[in-house]
Amino acid sequence: MDASVLLALRDPAGVPFYPIVFQVLYILTWALHAAFVLLSLGAMGLSLYGSAKGKTDKYWSILTPHLIQTGKISVSILIVLGVAPLLFTQVIYDPNWYVTNTLSGMWIFIFVYTMVVGYSMYYWYYYANKAQRTGSTLIGFVSFGILVFAGILMHNFAVTSIMPQQWMSMYAPNGVVNTSGWTFNLDIIRLAFMVSLSIPVVGIFLQNYSHFLSTRKDFDASFISYSAKLGTNFAVIGLLISAVLFVLWMLQVKYLFHPVSLATIVGVLVLLVMAKINSNSYYTTLILVVVALLISTMRELIRFDIMSGLGYSIYDYPINFEIPSIVMFLSTFLVMGFVGVAFLLTMAWKVGKSEGVFDGSKDVMVNRLGQSTLYIMIAWMVIYFGWGITILFKNIL
Amino acid sequence: MDIIGQFPLFYFPDYGSAWMMGLTGTIHILFSHTSVGAAMLFAFLAHKAYKENRSDYYPYMKKYGMFLLIFSYVLGSITGPGIWNTATAASPRGISALIHNFVWVWATEWVFFIYEVIGVFVLVYFIDKIDKKTHLRLTYTFALASVGTLALIIGIISFMMWPGTEAFYATGSASDAFFGVNTFPHMFLRIGFMIMMSGVIGLVISSSMRKENEELSNELSRKMGYVSILGGFITLFFFIWYMGTLPDNAHAVFAFSKDAIIKNRIILTLVFVAYFAIAIIKPRLINPVIASAMIGVILISGLWSGEKLRESMRKPYVAGQYIYSNQIISRDVPGKHIKSELPIIAEKGLLQVNPFVPARLKVITDENRLETGELLAKMSCSNCHSLEKTGVYRPLRDRLTGMDKEGVKSILYAMGEGAFAYMPKLKLPENEYDAIAEYFASLHY
Repeated sequence: MDASVLLALRDPAGVPFYPIVFQVLYILTWALHAAFVLLSLGAMGLSLYGSAKGKTDKYWSILTPHLIQTGKISVSILIVLGVAPLLFTQVIYDPNWYVTNTLSGMWIFIFVYTMVVGYSMYYWYYYANKAQRTGSTLIGFVSFGILVFAGILMHNFAVTSIMPQQWMSMYAPNGVVNTSGWTFNLDIIRLAFMVSLSIPVVGIFLQNYSHFLSTRKDFDASFISYSAKLGTNFAVIGLLISAVLFVLWMLQVKYLFHPVSLATIVGVLVLLVMAKINSNSYYTTLILVVVALLISTMRELIRFDIMSGLGYSIYDYPINFEIPSIVMFLSTFLVMGFVGVAFLLTMAWKVGKSEGVFDGSKDVMVNRLGQSTLYIMIAWMVIYFGWGITILFKNIL
Repeated sequence: MDIIGQFPLFYFPDYGSAWMMGLTGTIHILFSHTSVGAAMLFAFLAHKAYKENRSDYYPYMKKYGMFLLIFSYVLGSITGPGIWNTATAASPRGISALIHNFVWVWATEWVFFIYEVIGVFVLVYFIDKIDKKTHLRLTYTFALASVGTLALIIGIISFMMWPGTEAFYATGSASDAFFGVNTFPHMFLRIGFMIMMSGVIGLVISSSMRKENEELSNELSRKMGYVSILGGFITLFFFIWYMGTLPDNAHAVFAFSKDAIIKNRIILTLVFVAYFAIAIIKPRLINPVIASAMIGVILISGLWSGEKLRESMRKPYVAGQYIYSNQIISRDVPGKHIKSELPIIAEKGLLQVNPFVPARLKVITDENRLETGELLAKMSCSNCHSLEKTGVYRPLRDRLTGMDKEGVKSILYAMGEGAFAYMPKLKLPENEYDAIAEYFASLHY
């Protein structure tokens, strides 16, 4: 695939803002999406162990439903967070995104319904476990397997998208066009590394879980200590496994001594020490976020270098500035997004810390955030309709 | 090198690839519209419950919310990006055009989505863990966020039909593309449907509560009947307005099946008015089985046919009336520096300008004429038509029955001259017309 073809595959409308902004947003939002993918994978996987143990174990009888609930909510959040990197990648990497979607068209369709079936079954698992029905663990295993398969399909799309040199032979092997959409590629080491990260992620989650519940009087101290210890074990063992797989992946793609790779290794070592000591897991989580951003940067670096090597630089993408809509996005994201999500998360945090009904109307912060969110949203609607009516009048009168 | 930015082709035998998007889209519309409608209904119920001190409404809202979590936030949230994915596989350049025009609008919608997804869990799971006043405020913001997602997507899907005015082509501005003449009628048409759907789903929940509390069940069923009738009326009113804002090519397609569509809509209206009237007058007659069956009726008779019609009426375009369904840019858009690809295709041919045509098929020979004819037919026609003799979805068999090569060619020539408003005005070099015609003739439809 030479540069002239790759450049021709860019959308003729150009990009509406500086390409680097989309690249940074991609790195940032992919890291967020991946964090919840890994948390859901880890929480679901561990809940299966708890579910198999049944209600007899006094610790797991508390932990398992909480892990199932965590997995359940994480899947919803990973889906919504996944929309953003999906959006930003196709603005600047059109060739990669659109070629992959067409070459793997059947898998794309299967992916959507795999997610539908897998996630619906996960709700079944949640209700079956709640009602202590026999067979709930089996339902959980099937659901887990289906969702993991969906993850493998997503991995296929990512891998195919960075194989531009082989696209033509995938589409027309020996010059015979194949429009079936069954292209499937795997990179086992990269996949194993990504999946392995779910172990330390659920480990650090458990440390946070025990830290959060430690102030609640209705949770036994021995349970808090058990879940913290379990989290530490998972975090430490998982980080060691991930570190080995990361080095193997970097050796495979020949980036081991790249500054981003070295920074990731340092980050993992820092995480290892912090997870082992477990003095404050909230700080460990901050470092985990930094490592997730470094991994996301590494992925982007690999893709950027592959494409640049072929003469496709995202920085040369023609720009047609689109100011009103970026102003809308930035103001909505920074004002409504932060205030609104702060309202929901502050309330969730305080409800979690309370043992009875939480009275948000008497809590200054929750009250103020709630009122501000409401006013911001009303103002947003007024501006939206005002903007629309003005444009319409301008164009039709 | 004279090449245009066309991607590999994905084709599902006998059906084409567009039906995958249609199927996913229809399912998504049911769930997403229900979720926005339910968000408005929640705000209404929470308001009544708080002001009138009706704490018995909360268990209903919780039950409805749990149903909504699975119905809308499992199936709806997956099929949302699912439409995007399947549409990309079927029409990569159509989606690319939308993305490159509206990326910031979509990104803004994403902010609302985040609020909605976290919000629904907080709303449902904390209903009995937070005070009523905070819960009420939460339902208001949740409703506004849900309507916000509609407000943002509506301009994009309206643009798919057409930008509404000529301004976008001159300025290239997303605002001119987004706020076309059909954006607001389209928006309120969908708001009406959302309100109606919230009542239709609400009837499933209220009727299932009869054993627990018959009086409350009947009261809520009556309310859902009123809500549905109001939503249905808004839908009908704005549907008529919306139809009046559509371009000529849309009306040309609509004219083919106008009588059948009007008949179908009248029957659906009568059936649902009767259903909602029963919910108001004799709520005891509504049970969960009937209420669920009515969702199925809406899905099959209303949504599937409605979405098929909307997709057909866009023809021959897939987005903004400048990209044909077969992924060819059909006009200049000076505001975006976009040039029509029709002249270069007419001069060089599709085989030469498409970068994914293998070298051995770039030039038509006696040996490869049928093979190139098949590839050209797929590239030109398969986004809307199935090609095989056994084709199911809009089969070309029905259009070309009994035709020989010259007969097919005469149709292709007419299309190249723009004889059919709903078909692409695709002019090809003679040898490509010839190869396509030979391929179709060889199928002996």
